Amino acid sequence: MELFNELLLGFSVALTPTNLAYGFLGVLLGTIIGVLPGLGPVATISILLPVTFALPAPAALIMLAGIYYGAQYGGSTTAILVNLPGESSSVVTAIDGYQMARKGRAGLALATAALSSFLAGTLATVVIAVAAPALAEVALDFGPADYFSLMLFGLIAAVILAHGSVIKAIGMILVGILLGTMGIDANTGLERYTFGVPTFGDGIDFAVIAMGMFGIGETIANLERGEASRTFVKEVRGLWPSFAEIRSFLKPALRGTVLGGCLGLLPGGGPVLASFSTYALEKKLSKEPGRFGHGAIEGVAGPEAANNAAAQTAFIPMLTLGLPSSAVMALMIGALMMQGLSPGPQLMNQRPDLFWGLIASMWLGNLMLVILNLPLVGIWVKLLSVPYRMLYPAIMLFCCIGVYSIHNNALDVVLAAIFGGFGFIAQRLRCEPAPLLLGFILGPMIEETLRRALLISHGDPTVFVTRPISLTFLVMAFLLLIVLVAPMIRMTRQKAFEEGAE
Amino acid sequence: MTDSVKFSRRQAGIAFITGAALAAGLLAAPSARAQSDYPNQPITVIVPFAPGGASDFAARLLQPRLSEILGQQIVVENRDGAAGNVGMDIAARAKPDGYTLFLGNVGTVSINPFIFSSLRVKPLQDFIPVSIVADTPGLMIANPAFPPNNVKELVEYVKARPGQVNFASPGTGSVNRLEMEAFRREAGLDMIHVPYKGGAGPAAADVMGGHVSLMFVTISSGINHVKGGRLKALGVTTKQRVAQLPDVPTMTEQGYPKSVSSSWQGILVPAGTPEPIVNKLHAAVVEAMKDQKIRDRMAESGVIAVSSASPAEFKAYIAADAAKWGAIIKEIGAKAD
Repeated sequence: MELFNELLLGFSVALTPTNLAYGFLGVLLGTIIGVLPGLGPVATISILLPVTFALPAPAALIMLAGIYYGAQYGGSTTAILVNLPGESSSVVTAIDGYQMARKGRAGLALATAALSSFLAGTLATVVIAVAAPALAEVALDFGPADYFSLMLFGLIAAVILAHGSVIKAIGMILVGILLGTMGIDANTGLERYTFGVPTFGDGIDFAVIAMGMFGIGETIANLERGEASRTFVKEVRGLWPSFAEIRSFLKPALRGTVLGGCLGLLPGGGPVLASFSTYALEKKLSKEPGRFGHGAIEGVAGPEAANNAAAQTAFIPMLTLGLPSSAVMALMIGALMMQGLSPGPQLMNQRPDLFWGLIASMWLGNLMLVILNLPLVGIWVKLLSVPYRMLYPAIMLFCCIGVYSIHNNALDVVLAAIFGGFGFIAQRLRCEPAPLLLGFILGPMIEETLRRALLISHGDPTVFVTRPISLTFLVMAFLLLIVLVAPMIRMTRQKAFEEGAE
Repeated sequence: MTDSVKFSRRQAGIAFITGAALAAGLLAAPSARAQSDYPNQPITVIVPFAPGGASDFAARLLQPRLSEILGQQIVVENRDGAAGNVGMDIAARAKPDGYTLFLGNVGTVSINPFIFSSLRVKPLQDFIPVSIVADTPGLMIANPAFPPNNVKELVEYVKARPGQVNFASPGTGSVNRLEMEAFRREAGLDMIHVPYKGGAGPAAADVMGGHVSLMFVTISSGINHVKGGRLKALGVTTKQRVAQLPDVPTMTEQGYPKSVSSSWQGILVPAGTPEPIVNKLHAAVVEAMKDQKIRDRMAESGVIAVSSASPAEFKAYIAADAAKWGAIIKEIGAKAD
């Protein structure tokens, strides 16, 4: 009954015309920046943070939160249509989403993404309302050793992402890890691979590599293929999912919600780790894993549900403990402090209107997003019929603006161009960009948590097997490795045929 | 970052054109004339960190009142990167005409010159300090299950277990790490440093989760966890107890008078800014810091609103602060390149 009253309070706050309006503004902005490549929620929230100084606290938080999860919705759009992930968390969506679009099922892919996100958003809101404080405790139990084992597990799972050669995927992961080591080392303060350039001290931004490898690389590749290869545009069909299709993506979306919801609680990984581990899970569960990478609907539904669920559960440590699990959450804490509120365990009791209002607004925001996005599907799909000579200069322009906006640094644009060239070469060599990006994200985290865990244990490596959480992930990683390696040995002969057939 | 930045750049562009036209017309006029009507155009405050942090918070709090006093718009521009060095470099090279202010802090001005040997900026030569604005004490926090409840017990506990107690910090060259290094040198303690990245949040989370025993944080990032019972406070680095945490004894009280430090923020201008302008700015900042709203807002998060009696006093304060941290950095050998 208490929960009911609290939710009632929440909705009474979230449903006031002002808060509804700011919530809508937030999700609209979020969708737009999600669609635009490079422009991410961190940059957008940074820009708008000072503006919220003048707003009442609930309105400010509702709007900023809307931007964040709105971007998760919007990010899938360009990933599906032009193989350009607008957000880091939609990198995985691009793999099968874009293939669906190439097969004339862009509308279905977009609708699947929106509906899966809505489903995940709704369930995650319920979870936050019911179990936020308890879940925050679980997140605190994760120590550096546990993170290390989780990340290691993730890195091994990254191999599953590849639908081509496993050796090439491992190679790309390693290149990603190397790129991730750039910058000033946290433990010793030594510079690595900075070549004396001060800007490299903070490493390369994820968006620079993603925009280059996907956006620019894909553009070059398509120019080579020429306009003639775009036969798929003319046969756009199936804007709305049929009942059978809804049934086929419902289960993956639910699994994605659970996995994403859990990973969202943990700092660092969040939506990115959530989306690709769901993809890996779906591919492993599937009876025909061969369809993945060639337009499997599960490969869109699962990751999209996961990244939206993770985006929402990421609020739990911030709201209940005042701990930021990501850059966006750190900004949210900044927003609260500017309002004269201090995030922490007492916030829930001191300002129940704010806490429950935000939770209620999340569900309303998700509803708005699905209402906003579904009718747009038809319009987005039309984007595919825009001729290359107009579409690609526009993509280039948005990539450049997006990349420049991260640090207002022209060097980032040059770097993105270099990664564009690299992305094109990689594509010609049939090396996929997704494993590289995951190596780039996970590599530095693995290093950081490994060194931290060993510092804390004073150099004793048994800490990884004596902690139950860590041990569980290590065992899972080992099992996964066996699952991966066993068929590889069998498949070596088969592969010779496959490649000959292509 | 862009709306506000673009806006201010455009304004700066317009200002530059009008400024150039004025300069051409008044070439022979004494420069005192340009100074006497200062400020006649918007003033930019460069914050070398991203929005949402402590420096940004101080700048945004100061912005409306300072604008009122000077009768000109104040534009806050966040130029983050490389531990604040990017913004500091931009500010140091700005035209010294009083229209670009720098919101410096303990990290950029007192610590970074000793950590980053490639740093081109020499803060005390390239800037004229105007006034300090915020004094944020350090707070020693520990997991509630960690046995020692005060500094005396901590010293006994660690001395009985040399090299076994871990302390966290938000980074190798952070003031919070140096605070602990200074303390443990004074007390003669052997502890292991566990550095984190990305602000005090992740490190504090691990102290809360019991993975690391203790650390120093700024009072603003620790106060609520202490009040909420998630963390316990062992000491505060002020000379007198802090009003928001009256039960927490100072480090001085507990026998460590050298553990007096602050994560301060203050206003500086590029070297070469005419003295009358520096004095005018100083008077304006002092006036702004008297504002009760600013004082209350800062006090809520444990930050003390302060101002310097004169620009020279602030300069002496920075010199002493830099000398103190510089000596500790040399001792522990922390370097970033």
